[in-house]
Formats: sequence, C-alpha cells, structure tokens
Amino acid sequence: VLTLLLLLLLLLALLAASWRPAIAARTEAAPQAFDPALVQRGAKLTTLALCANCHSATPAAPMAGGFPIQTPFGTVYSTNITPDVDTGIGGWTEAAFARAMTHGVSRDGHHLYPAFPYDHYTRMAPGDIQAIYAYVMTRDPLHAPAHANELRFPFGFRPLLAGWKLLFLDHTPVAPDASKDASWNRGAYIAQAMGHCAACHSPRQAFGQVDTTHYLGGGEAEGWYVPALNGRSPSPIAWTTDTLTEYLRSGIAPNHAIAGGPMQAVTSSLGEADPADVHALAGYIVSQMGKPDPAIEQRALAAAAKPASLPSADAGDSQLVLGQHVYADTCARCHDMGRAIGSGGALQLPAAIALYDPDPRSLIHIVRDGIAPRDGEAGRTMPAFATILTNDQVTALAAYLRRYGAGQPAWPDLAAAVQKAKATP
Amino acid sequence: MSQFVLNVNGRRQSVETEPDTPLLYVLRDDLQLNGAKFGCGLGQCGSCTVLLDGAAVVSCLVPVSSIGTRAVKTIEGLGSAERPGRLQQAFIAEQAAQCGYCIAGMIMRAEELLSKFPTPSDAQIRSHMALNLCRCGTHMRILRAIRRAAGMPAVSA
Repeated sequence: VLTLLLLLLLLLALLAASWRPAIAARTEAAPQAFDPALVQRGAKLTTLALCANCHSATPAAPMAGGFPIQTPFGTVYSTNITPDVDTGIGGWTEAAFARAMTHGVSRDGHHLYPAFPYDHYTRMAPGDIQAIYAYVMTRDPLHAPAHANELRFPFGFRPLLAGWKLLFLDHTPVAPDASKDASWNRGAYIAQAMGHCAACHSPRQAFGQVDTTHYLGGGEAEGWYVPALNGRSPSPIAWTTDTLTEYLRSGIAPNHAIAGGPMQAVTSSLGEADPADVHALAGYIVSQMGKPDPAIEQRALAAAAKPASLPSADAGDSQLVLGQHVYADTCARCHDMGRAIGSGGALQLPAAIALYDPDPRSLIHIVRDGIAPRDGEAGRTMPAFATILTNDQVTALAAYLRRYGAGQPAWPDLAAAVQKAKATP
Repeated sequence: MSQFVLNVNGRRQSVETEPDTPLLYVLRDDLQLNGAKFGCGLGQCGSCTVLLDGAAVVSCLVPVSSIGTRAVKTIEGLGSAERPGRLQQAFIAEQAAQCGYCIAGMIMRAEELLSKFPTPSDAQIRSHMALNLCRCGTHMRILRAIRRAAGMPAVSA
C-alpha cells in the first residue's frame, strides 16, 4: 500500500511538474497586419530554419503538416502551422508561438515532441522568432487536422517530455567567438540555432537527444547515413566555402556527389535563403571539417580530372568479380567517360562520398532508389536499380565500389544491409 | 560477344551479344519484340517498361548480363491483336492511346500495379503510373482504362 501511495504521489508530482498553462487564443477574427519588411525577413529565415521541410507534406499544401517523421520511438506527424484557426495556429499569439519554438509547448499547454527541433530553436534570437511568426501568420490558412502519432508505449504519454526537456534543453544563446569574423559567427548561429544541422548530422543517444560530445559527428535520417561534418567527414575531396555554398544552394557542386535523400529538401530550402547567409553557413561548416587523407583526395581528384575505368577485381574473389561486371555493364556507361550515350555526365565514383561512409546505407539507397529531383524542381537524376539488380548484384557492386572505387576496407554486414533495404522500402 | 539464354514470355531464347547490351535492344533487334519502345534511353520516360520476375523495369537500363534466369515479360506476353489481354482490351475500349508510343510501357507498368493491388485507389494508380510519361496527354483515359481492367466502376465514389 505504501509503495502504491508513493508511486501515486510520484505520478502526481510528475504531472504537476510537467503542467504548462494554456495561453489564451487570439480573439480578433481578422488576420493580423505585419510590417511587410518583417514578413519578408521571416520568409528568408523560414528557409534557413527548414520549417517547410517537415511541415509541408506536399507542395500543394504548404505548411499544412502531415509529414511522417520516423523516430526510434515511433512515427510523429508534423502539424498544420498555417494560420487556420480550427486546425492550424491561427489562434496563436506571438507569445504562444515563441513558447512553442523555445520550450516545445503548444498553445493549449501540451508538450510537443522534439521531432520538432525546438531543442535547437531554443537558441534562436527573439527577433528572428518574431519575423518567422509574421511570415507564418500571413500564409494562406488551410484546413488540415493533425494526423495521430504512432508511438510505442510509453512515449505517447506527453508529460514524460517535461523530464526530457529538463535534461536536454539548452537555452544558452550561441556565443559569439571574438577570434572569428562576423560571417563565421553568423554561420555558427545559422547552423546551431536555425538550420539545426546537428539534428541529423550528429549521433543521438538513448533518449533521442543529440550527442553533443560528438557534435556534427555523423548521424542518420530516414534510413540514410548522414555524413559527419567535423574532423571525421568522410568526404574524399575537401570542401571549400565556395563549393559548399554552391552545393547548399543548388544540391550540385563540381567534384562532389549531388544531394540525395533528406538533404534534397535542405538544399532546395537553402536555395531560397539569403545567399550571404548560406555563404556564412558554408564557411562555418567548412571550418568544422578536417582535411581528407591526402592520398585519398589526390586519387579522387585525379579521377575527376581525367576519368579512367575502375581497376579489375582480384580474379580469386567471385563476389568482387561479379561486382566488377555489374559495374561495367550497368554503371559505367554514365559513370565512366568514353562509353555510350550520357557518358561523362555522372560523377566519377572515386569522388563519391557514399563509398567512404562508415556504413553502406546511403550507397544502397542511391543504387536501389536512384536520385530524382523533388516534385516540381529541376535537377540531375540517377535512375533507380531496385528492380533491375538482384540483392546479390547490389551487394557485389557495393563491395566492389568500396574496394576499388574508394580503396577502403570492406563494410561488415553488407549483405544484411542490402537485405534490410529491400525489406523496408 | 557472349551468349545469353533468356526466358522471354515463357519461351527460352538464346542471343549472342555484348554483356552490357540493354535488354531493350535485345528485345527489339534480336528477338523482334517491338512492343517496348526506345524513348530516352536514360530510364526517365518509361516507354521501354517490361517486367522482370513481375517487377516493372525500364529495359533500356537493364544490361542483358544482369538478367540471369529471371523471367522477362513484354507486352507481347499479355495477348495478341486477335486475343488481347485484359489491360489491352481495356486500353482499346477506352481508346487510351493517341500516338501510342508510350502505351506498351504504360500497360506493363499497370500490369505490375494490378498484380500488387487488384483494386487500386486512384491515388495508388496515379503514384504508381507517375514514372511513365505520355506527351499526348491521354492520362485521364489511361487512368480510366486501368480502372476498367481492374473491374472497377468508371468514376470513383
């Protein structure tokens, strides 16, 4: 009985501690008027904060939510942040919006899941939040009720999030570094407070919190390996501020792979941002990356400058020989210069970052699903080979490219990773 | 040159060609199966779509060396002019072809769809068929033909 009583008391204490008040809804029926300059600034900041990447499930319903975000705890659906009063945030005051952005609390007081990256927005300047509010509240209101989340027990119990926040929310503003110039500091702010790069580019720990001791040390998103941007960057060729700016704004830069997977939405959003801000972001990120191994970089640069076929596989290894044949018959026509139609248009594979990743997930994704421009956008494509190549062929191809394209030691459990990709489309 | 033995529309076929020859060229040039069309040669238009073990592939990107024992099915395998298959009948009934260049690919893509989802929703039809392009703009008729082949009412409820 005593234990039960204690448990009950604990539960009550938890509920009390997790309770947040509702903020009264806006009562004026008319849309709010904002200074157009503020709205315009908010539009640019929204592209840096990547709001639409998750809040627009389709281009047809911008900011109306419904995009599924897979987490280890289940699926969380983004919600409607158009100014619709019934299903969006039309009733939210600026104070309610700012509280959601920095404390992860909805207007009515319920805790929001950190799939919404408020664990980064905590560090956003109040003036920037105000501008984003002005932009969001002047969009077309769309009626779109929230999709129910699908979370494993006990994660559907929102008061637990109060404890998570107590442990993991950091409200310290991004501290300026006096030894760096204004652009670098701007980039540091964009990366950490707005663009929340670390949300995907850092590993996460048991409770889903970003592992701050391995800042930008590589993570995962939607089943892709997300490359490290710190000293452990797997990029075979060094990024410069200019090439990274080009990549972030267009998804394409010379001698680097095109953007794929979840990064496509990032580059299309940053393409709408203020170019000076993207340049600042690129400068900051480049400053975090180490230099590639000079031997690897030299080899990749040589391949990019003067294309040559990849080496023949060791004849004694039947899997590598199969991989070489798959490469020669399937990939080489675009990836090796001097072949049939389309040759020279595709990246020389010694320059392809996916071959140098610590695991093969991204390469398998690219081979199986290809890379297609997003709906309504122009861009380069790579065809999907999921139905063309068998699992054994994809496995052999990946093993061959890893060994002879990148010159790296074999990935462990490659065949299992291919099997898994096939099972989870 | 190497020899490849293929299973095409249930028949064993032997061809001698380079290993990186696209299946599309083998079908058209060596086997006189001219249903599948060369559109872009880059896997972007779908006019060369055929089935490989039941899965739709753009045959312009399939090297003959990768096929192995997998069964190839082309539009000729669905029926003939005298005895058209159910999708072919439905496409004729709806007059879904204008110039017709994309239609063999469209039908093969639809064949894959109906084998996975015998009574697909409109959204499923649209997203599944999105990989195949038609420049004449007969899309609405193509959608109707697929619904007809699936034995579904002409207008969705």
